[in-house]
Order: sequence, then structure tokens, then C-alpha cells
Amino acid sequence: MLKYVVKRILQSMATLVVVATVVFLLLRLMPEEGYFAEGYDKMDEAQIEAALTEMGLRDPLPVQLGNFFNGILHGDLGKSIIFRPKVPITKIIGPKIPYSLYFGLASIAISLGVGIPLGMVMARFKGKFLDNLGSAYVVLIKAVPAAVYFLFLQLYVSDALKIPMLFNEKKPVSWILPAVCMSLSSIATYAMWIRRYMVDELNKDYIKLARAKGLKNSLVMSRHVIRNAFVPMAQQLPSNILMTISGSIYVESLFSIPGMGGLLVSAIQRQDNTLVQALVLIYSCIGILGLFLGDLLMALCDPRIKLGKKGSGR
Amino acid sequence: MNNRYTEKILEAKDVVVKFNLRGRTLTAIRGISLDLYKGESLAIVGESGSGKSVFTKTFMGLLDANGRVDSGSILYKGNDLAKYTTEKEWLTIRGKEIAMVFQDPMTSLNPLKTVGKQIRETVELHQGLKGAEAKAKTIEILNDVGITMPEIRYKQYPHEFSGGMRQRAVIAIAVACNPNILICDEPTTALDVTIQAQILKLLHKLQEKYSLTIIYITHDLGVVANVADRIAVMYAGDIIEVGLCEEVFYNAKHPYTWALLSSLPQLGVKGEPLYSIKGTPPNLFHEIHGDAFAPRNPYALEVDFEVRPPYFEVSPTHKAKTWLLDPRAPKVEPPKLIVRMLEKWKEAPEHV
Ligand SMILES: Nc1ncnc2c1ncn2[C@@H]1O[C@H](COP(=O)(O)OP(=O)(O)O)[C@@H](O)[C@H]1O
Ligand SMILES: [Mg+2]
Repeated sequence: MLKYVVKRILQSMATLVVVATVVFLLLRLMPEEGYFAEGYDKMDEAQIEAALTEMGLRDPLPVQLGNFFNGILHGDLGKSIIFRPKVPITKIIGPKIPYSLYFGLASIAISLGVGIPLGMVMARFKGKFLDNLGSAYVVLIKAVPAAVYFLFLQLYVSDALKIPMLFNEKKPVSWILPAVCMSLSSIATYAMWIRRYMVDELNKDYIKLARAKGLKNSLVMSRHVIRNAFVPMAQQLPSNILMTISGSIYVESLFSIPGMGGLLVSAIQRQDNTLVQALVLIYSCIGILGLFLGDLLMALCDPRIKLGKKGSGR
Repeated sequence: MNNRYTEKILEAKDVVVKFNLRGRTLTAIRGISLDLYKGESLAIVGESGSGKSVFTKTFMGLLDANGRVDSGSILYKGNDLAKYTTEKEWLTIRGKEIAMVFQDPMTSLNPLKTVGKQIRETVELHQGLKGAEAKAKTIEILNDVGITMPEIRYKQYPHEFSGGMRQRAVIAIAVACNPNILICDEPTTALDVTIQAQILKLLHKLQEKYSLTIIYITHDLGVVANVADRIAVMYAGDIIEVGLCEEVFYNAKHPYTWALLSSLPQLGVKGEPLYSIKGTPPNLFHEIHGDAFAPRNPYALEVDFEVRPPYFEVSPTHKAKTWLLDPRAPKVEPPKLIVRMLEKWKEAPEHV
């Protein structure tokens, strides 16, 4: 097990280095305007050159890359240029994290708490009314663009329930709508997964054998079906959870929540090169961490994954 | 010839099973009557699709959701299982009275639970043991089914077992139920020939130790020649001939049984192509008139196409559903091929 964990950690770090390099290189292709807070239009060529050289942007690429990685290792993601000039990026992001985290956690709780029971009910009553109702919800949520039902909720539901349209830190009721919006799609995802994996399980021979040996249906469900159905989910769950916690880009900007997702949108809109670079890097880290945890969780749940050996299969 | 088993343990009478499939009705079992005797081993043979699995599933309430016992009765210990509907009723039968071993050992075990746990779950359920006692019993059963180093095997997962070992584990689960009747649905079909023989031998051994009545289901007559006391031959949802093993092998009366015998690879002659039955089984969605085998039967009489033959008794233990046995029917001898082959086989039966 330890061998497997170490191997996966090394793999993840290698992936991270590659991703960071790619992000860095892509950002070099962005317009140079993005390195100047103001006055770019009024500067002449020489002034621009001088400023860029001063920022180290005229150094050879490998040197720049070296500096970049050195910074990361010391917890320095550079300074914001346009969004809040000269402020270290860690200082900008820091206060945003709690908002994304709290909304993320609330959304996870809602989506798992509603989605998984919903999926179980759908599997249990496969082909019956409740299953069809659940499927209708899943199809609706997945087929209609999120923007449409988010706007609908924001405009009409907030009005009908007399709750504020935008996030307001001081009014807890205003937290409900964004949290619900963030959960709608993952409820559908979890319900769909659990239903599918449970239906798959129900058709397995060992479930038939469990019935044939006289196990009560409720025990067949709890001891065999549900447990087994969670294994394929185990791999995807951490990524999903981390992504949710790290902030919903769309919902945050829609409800004016001062979180990380909203920040990314502003940073891109305002072409703050170093801020975009830092944010993209953070999101990549989260993605890679999610994959790593997923594999780990899966390995813990499924004895067939031979740890540390090649050719592991399901 | 006499049946040495006389006490009936289960009596199926005129069992009809129907399935609903996309608004149409399929009759999978068309009125089977069969007695099972305590302590015997009965083989049910027939082509795949003839209804062997469906018929025996009715004893345990394991039909798929779209199927039902339409009429008939299945008497077991004074109760009619055909009338059972609730899970509560079936839980008095499943495992406790009748257990089942499925065809594919690769998929019959839960891949995420240790083999020990899966057997132990059954021990706890049916033998009322707990903790260390349940574990000790489980290990004893593992030993009984011929799994060496049971303490180590107890902690292993199914993927660490070979196919033959897995089937032993599945058999262990069945035995752990302490049933009276054990239904083995093609228990060796998915296994190598050498392992087939071992598993059959094991079942035979367990039958004595645990005083089981065994039903073997197979599409291969050759497999059961050595283990079955009686053979029931199924065709298109009916048992068309039933008798003691020797009676069915050496004195078969139904042309379908002849055809099955002729296609036995063990009886084939080297270099000659194996006999295979021409045509296809009838469509079970349609109502079947006369003898279901008639369209494929070279010996079919006119009446075979029109009136369903009743059982004609050949001996007290042997009966067949074919008009050829009617006193008015012309005398028909079984094909030379099987007579010749069977004679040869009688002289050297160890080939099977
Ligand atoms: N759930 C089902 N729905 C419809 N038809 C079924 C179902 N299960 C079995 N059958 C039909 O019943 C017949 C007998 O099947 P089965 O007992 O499995 O055959 P065997 O075990 O002899 O190979 C087949 O024609 C099969 O198509
Ligand atoms: Mg079958």
C-alpha cells in the first residue's frame, strides 16, 4: 500500500510540474499589456522594454521558468498587476477561500444528502413512477443550460420567497439560493451514478446467490448492493468534492459571492496575467489532488486493485 | 429395476410458468409433473433454453420479476410453494430448505468480500452461530469442500481463487445453509474437464455427509452418467422422458432422448462428424400442438403433430411422452447408431 501511495504521489507531482510549465508557457503568449496596471498606451517601446526587463520578463525562458518554480516553492505566487496592483497574490486569494469553502461544503452536503438517497430510491423502484420522476429531473438539469435555471431561480424564486437576489454576508437567507444552485447539478450527477451502479449490481450473479441463500432483501441491499455500488463512485467522488469546494465560477459571479470562482472571472476579464496564472495553477493542483485521492479511495475499497503491482485491473 | 429411494420430498404437479415480455406471453414451462425422492440425485438434461433453470427456480421463488407460476402446485413439507408470494414465505425455504449452486463460479461470489465472510454470513444466518464459533464452522466447511489451508483461504478474496476453487467456495455457501435439497444449475459447465470431474466427485461426497437430495441441471448427458440416480429429459418446457439412469441410457423411448444420446461426444466414433439435432426448438410464444419435438422428429407419427402425448409407462420408474409407446403405434426401433454405440460403451464404460 505504501509503495502504491508513494508511486502515485510521485506521479502526481510530475503531472503538476508539467501542468505548471504549460500554464507558465501559455501565459507568456498573452498580450504584454497584461503586465501593466496603467499607462501602457502612453509608454513608448523603450519604456515598455525597460519595464519588462525590470520585471524579469526579458530573461531567457528557462531562467524565467526557474524563477517561477522557485517562487512557488517558497509560497510566492507573484504579485497582482491589474486587479490590485502590487499586492501579493496569496494575500488576494487568502480571504476568498473561506467563501468558496463554506459554499462548497454546504453544496456537497446538500448534493450527497439528496442525490444519493434519490439514486437509491430510483434504483429500488426501477422503471416505476419514482424512477421516472427522478430521471426527468436528471434529464432536465443535464439538458437545460445551467445559466437558464440559475437565472430562473435568481429572478423568480427569490422573488416568490422574498429572499435577496444577491449574496449578502449579513443576511443568512441570502446564502440559501446560491448553495441550492450549486447543488442542483451534482444532485443529478450523484443520483444518476448511484442509480446506475446499483442497477448494475442488482443484476450480478452474486446478488442472485445472496438471495438464493436466504438473505433478506434489506440485507442484500445493505451488505452487498449499496456497498459495491459505492466502489465505482469512490474514484470520482474526491475530484467532484474538491471541485465544488474550490468555488463555482458561474454561481459565485452570478450572486456576487466574493469567492475564488468569481475572482478567476474578474482576473481573466481584466487580463491580470500573474493572477490568472496563479489561479489556474491552484485549480490544477486541486484537480490533480482529486484524481490522486480518487485512486487512493478506490484502492482502499476494491481488493482487486493489486497495490504497487503493474497491470492492476478491475 | 427399482428405485431405492421411496420417500417423496418434493412433488411438482402440472407446473406452468409464464413470462411477460414486451406485452406478449411466453410459456416457458408447459405443465411439468415431477416427484423428487429424498436422498436421490436427479439430473435434468436438455438443450439450453428448454426451461431447466426456470423450472427449478420456481422451487425457490427466484423467477425473474416478469415471470410467474401460472398454474400447478409444488408440494414441499405439506406446503404448496406455487402459492408463495411474499418474501417472508420464501425466506422459510431459501437456503434453509433448498439451496442452489449457479453455473458461473467467476461471477457467483461478491468480489469485494472475503470468501470467508461470504460463507460465514450464511453460517450465521442458517446455523445460528456467532463470533468464533461461526468462524470455526466456516473453516470446517471450507475443509469439507476440499479447500486446503482453510485458515488462509478464509481471509482471501474471490479473485485470489481459481475457477474450480471458487466453485468449491460457492458449494461451501450452499452447504453452509444446511439445506435438504441442493439444486446445482450447470455446476461444471464453466470449468475445465478435469475440474468438472473433481467438482462432481465433491458433490457426491457432500451428498452423503450432509444427507442432501441433489438436482443436477445440465445440457450434457455425459456429465451426469456417473452421478445421477435418475434422469429427466426436458424439451421445450416439458419433461418428455424420465427414468433411472440405466433406463434412460440403455432403454430410451423418446426420439428426443435418442437424439441427445446420439450427440454424446463420448459415444462418437473417431473421425466421424458428431451427430447434431436438426432444426430449432419451438417458439414458446406460440401455443404448441401435439408433441413439441414432432417437427424435428424423423420418427414422428401424424398424431404427434396434433395431440399432445401423455406419459406412457415403460416400467414403474420409467415413463416417456411419445405416441410411439402407444400399443397402436407402429414398432420403431431406436436408431442403429445409438444401439451400436451403447453396446460398445457398455463394454467399456470408463470412457465416460
Ligand atoms: N425473464 C425472462 N423473460 C422471458 N423469458 C425468459 C425469462 N427467463 C427465461 N426465459 C425463457 O424461458 C426459457 C427457458 O429458459 P431457461 O430455464 O433459462 O433454459 P435452460 O436453463 O434450460 O437453458 C427460455 O426460452 C428463455 O428464453
Ligand atoms: Mg439454465
